[in-house]
Amino acid sequence: MSEGLSITSVGPPNPFGMPLGALSWLSTLGLWAWVLPVIAAGIVALYFLKLRREPVQVSSTYLWGKTIEDLHVNSLLQRLRRSLLLLLQLLILACAAIAVFRPGVRGETNGQDRLIFLLDRSASMQAVDLEGGVSRFDKAKELIRGRIGSMSDQQTAMLIAFDDRAETVQAFTSDRSRLLLSLDAVTVSNAPTDMLEALRAADGLANPRRSSQVGDLNDVQVADASPAELLIFSDGAFQPPADFNLGNLIPNYVAIGSEKVLNLAITEFSTQTDFDKPGVVQVYGTVANLGNVPGKTEVALEMDGELLDAELVSLEPGEEKGLAFEISANDSAFLTLTLSVTDDLAVDNRAYAGLTPSKRASILVITEGNTALEVALETEQIQRICDVSFVSPSFLTSDSYRERVNTSEDDLLIFDRCQPLKMPKTNTFFIGAIPPASVVSVDPESDDSEENLTTDDASDDSRFAWGWDAESTPLSIIDINRTHPLLRYLDLFSVLVFSGRPLVVPEGGTELLAADTGTVLAVAPREGYQDLVLGFPIVSQSDGGVPEANTNWFAERSWPVFLFNVLRTLGNASETTAAGSYAPGAIVRGRLNQLSEERPSDSLRIETSSGRKVAFVLRDALQFETVDTHEIGAYEVRTQEKLLQRFAVNLFNQRESSIAASREITLGYEEVESGNAGLVVRREYWRFVLLVMLALMMAEWWLYNQRMG
Amino acid sequence: MTTKEPTDELLPPSLLAKLERLEFASRKMFRGQLKGERRSRRRGQSVEFDDFRNYVPGDDLRLIDWNLYARLDQLFLKLFQEEEERHFYALVDASGSMGFGTPSKFLVARQLAAALGYIGLCRSDRVSVQILGHAGRKAPVLRSRSSLWQMLQYLETVTLGQNDSLGESIRDFASRQTGSGIVVLISDFLDKEGFESALRMLVNHRMDVFVMHLLSPEEINPTLRGDHRLIDSEDEDFADLTINQYAVDQYLANLKGFIESIKTFCNRRSMVYVPISTEMRIEEMATTYLRQRGVVR
Repeated sequence: MSEGLSITSVGPPNPFGMPLGALSWLSTLGLWAWVLPVIAAGIVALYFLKLRREPVQVSSTYLWGKTIEDLHVNSLLQRLRRSLLLLLQLLILACAAIAVFRPGVRGETNGQDRLIFLLDRSASMQAVDLEGGVSRFDKAKELIRGRIGSMSDQQTAMLIAFDDRAETVQAFTSDRSRLLLSLDAVTVSNAPTDMLEALRAADGLANPRRSSQVGDLNDVQVADASPAELLIFSDGAFQPPADFNLGNLIPNYVAIGSEKVLNLAITEFSTQTDFDKPGVVQVYGTVANLGNVPGKTEVALEMDGELLDAELVSLEPGEEKGLAFEISANDSAFLTLTLSVTDDLAVDNRAYAGLTPSKRASILVITEGNTALEVALETEQIQRICDVSFVSPSFLTSDSYRERVNTSEDDLLIFDRCQPLKMPKTNTFFIGAIPPASVVSVDPESDDSEENLTTDDASDDSRFAWGWDAESTPLSIIDINRTHPLLRYLDLFSVLVFSGRPLVVPEGGTELLAADTGTVLAVAPREGYQDLVLGFPIVSQSDGGVPEANTNWFAERSWPVFLFNVLRTLGNASETTAAGSYAPGAIVRGRLNQLSEERPSDSLRIETSSGRKVAFVLRDALQFETVDTHEIGAYEVRTQEKLLQRFAVNLFNQRESSIAASREITLGYEEVESGNAGLVVRREYWRFVLLVMLALMMAEWWLYNQRMG
Repeated sequence: MTTKEPTDELLPPSLLAKLERLEFASRKMFRGQLKGERRSRRRGQSVEFDDFRNYVPGDDLRLIDWNLYARLDQLFLKLFQEEEERHFYALVDASGSMGFGTPSKFLVARQLAAALGYIGLCRSDRVSVQILGHAGRKAPVLRSRSSLWQMLQYLETVTLGQNDSLGESIRDFASRQTGSGIVVLISDFLDKEGFESALRMLVNHRMDVFVMHLLSPEEINPTLRGDHRLIDSEDEDFADLTINQYAVDQYLANLKGFIESIKTFCNRRSMVYVPISTEMRIEEMATTYLRQRGVVR
């Protein structure tokens, strides 16, 4: 009811123990509803006023007169009761009135006035394992549509669609049509699921909190927290969010999808150039059966649309198989791995990998002298992919350094026991030192902006600044984050460190190496770049100025491997072998060395393999950035005539591809079982009433013609 | 019951032959003035032997049975049954209500009167077919088969609306006819003054009365529905009525009660009540239906 009087709700929240599912009414009219009885009275009045009796001569009114005497006893009531036409007309009106009030039997509700719909739109919701080939996403929308339809006028609802990000599609409203319109606008994506994001969005809107610190007397809670029903429409294919308190949210999980599914997925697809055999590319792929039915498929490898190789794969549920191909390839090509099987989820049946034009990474090392570093960076393998330059710390104050930094010439700067005044616009690796307190980068356009960078600014942003946690002490390594690409293949437990300081890692940073005193190796993002900081130097200088080893790491086999990882990961050296692969929706940043020479930035464009133009931002002449990576496929960065770079977007998410619907999910500290409580779709009867009305109208018309005819 | 095709012909020629074989099944013996073809209770000069009786002086000597005198030596008179004429009246209601129905009740009534009148003429009865009201006074009294055309001519010339009141018309008839006889009253009896006084008048005159109650199919099973103003054909009276099934049911109940009341009245007074639907063909009516109802044989 948008205005005026409320004629609704025969079914309040069960105050007298009325059984659930009682008939309720949803009116869509305001004052007009009161007009209906008047119309009814009008019809009766008009009926008698308009009544024109057709004169008919009969042999005698003798017997009819007796009939009239009988009818006169209760003539008015008799007329109303027995005049079929009038009765039908009144019935038609009554039907119209009833239909307008939308009678229906509502399913169970828990009586919450606030509803939050969480609609999973991640890749797994594209699965078509439901009856009739309906996708999970469409089914979820249909269920939400039904639930919105059954909302009472007192209820308000919010709609949040989520994949790896949560989007509040519609804020709290009681306007059902707006909710439905917003719901229709939501589309499914190829991105993985991040339930925590969605829960935080719901939590922030459902549980208003103080805006800042507790204890601040001037800070008052702007709204009272009131319970809200959290309706999660998902298949449960997501990482259970930990450390989340639902608070006032009453979760209600609706599992969408069947538990018996067939899904063969490509979980990995990468290429690697064999340095010993130029022109030969190793292609690796992994196919996994992530459903619970055995599957068989043909795996086809194609390069730029041409079939190169194929293999038949049979997999039991949970089984996976690695595939390796060796192909001859040009510098630049796109490879596609395709599964021929028709399973429940198609999005993971195709993977892309690109070979980009080779380019060498440029590494600048600022050190007073570090033999261990120099030796490791001069290995044959590193020399093949990088150009490494060594300079002394005094170079940091020179103009040529400033120019070099401003043109983003280097892919990686390694600061050995020294630090620049301002952070350069590139990735950095600090050894035995930390980035300067201010994280603000040098503005390439205004070199004299140092005065803006006061210490106050730095202290304000203390959460984003690196720092030392304690004084130098001997330390021993106790934990390694092996999952990170920087520490892949490393074993560091035999490393001894004589003197090192634990680090204070800025917010958003990742701890890579933990020692007994704290974090000694961490990586943190900075404006699209990454800073890697090692808390201890490799070599130090004795009081006499003689270099001496601070650790035995340089003597370990892991040292050059670590440096190789650093160059590959932070120095973008990996691009020299294969194009990067990103998750759908991920931010893709790239450097365009070739472009800097030509600067045809106007003609720069990014296109997908399907021909779609991708929106991107050119941060400067050398860097592009795009978030428009929702489409799975191959992306090409090119000018009018020249291909500059390639990257691929693939799902490669085992959890997303494991599409068997979970009947139970864990939200923080609560386990929620799938149910449809509160989701029983309101059964609307107004359509039936309208049908009855139509039938009555036809009957009335027929009768009328019968009589008049 | 076959459907009758509308015809204005009062007596189809094919029917005449069938009617000649019929006679009235009167339950009473009547005295006539002229010889007829009906056996009388009186003894007379027919060829039909009836009884003997002793001769008394003054008897007609021609009637003495001489054969019996020769055997018994006593004079006996041979008595014969007398055959005499009978009065037959067919009274046709010509009120406005008789003009309704397809075919109209008035046409069927005249056909019926003509058929019965012809039966009477064939039996040498004294036949008078007349419509009720003043026009009835001009009706010819006929005695022989050859006067059929007169009867038909009369019936063809009469028109509706001659009598307004059934009771008055019968009273007029009764006042003119003092004798006894067979009276066939053909009417729909839709008279707001009632039928009782009219019929009672005939009983008082020692008539053998046959009451032919004519109703059209439209009256027996009305198909009229809707909001109507019903206008009476006789007195322009009207009745506003919404005719629905309920009203029709009421009407049918009233009609049933009306028929029952006439039937009961007739039965109590030894009249023969014969309900007739005008749907019936005159041939079937005269030769079959009236036989079944005991009017003719």
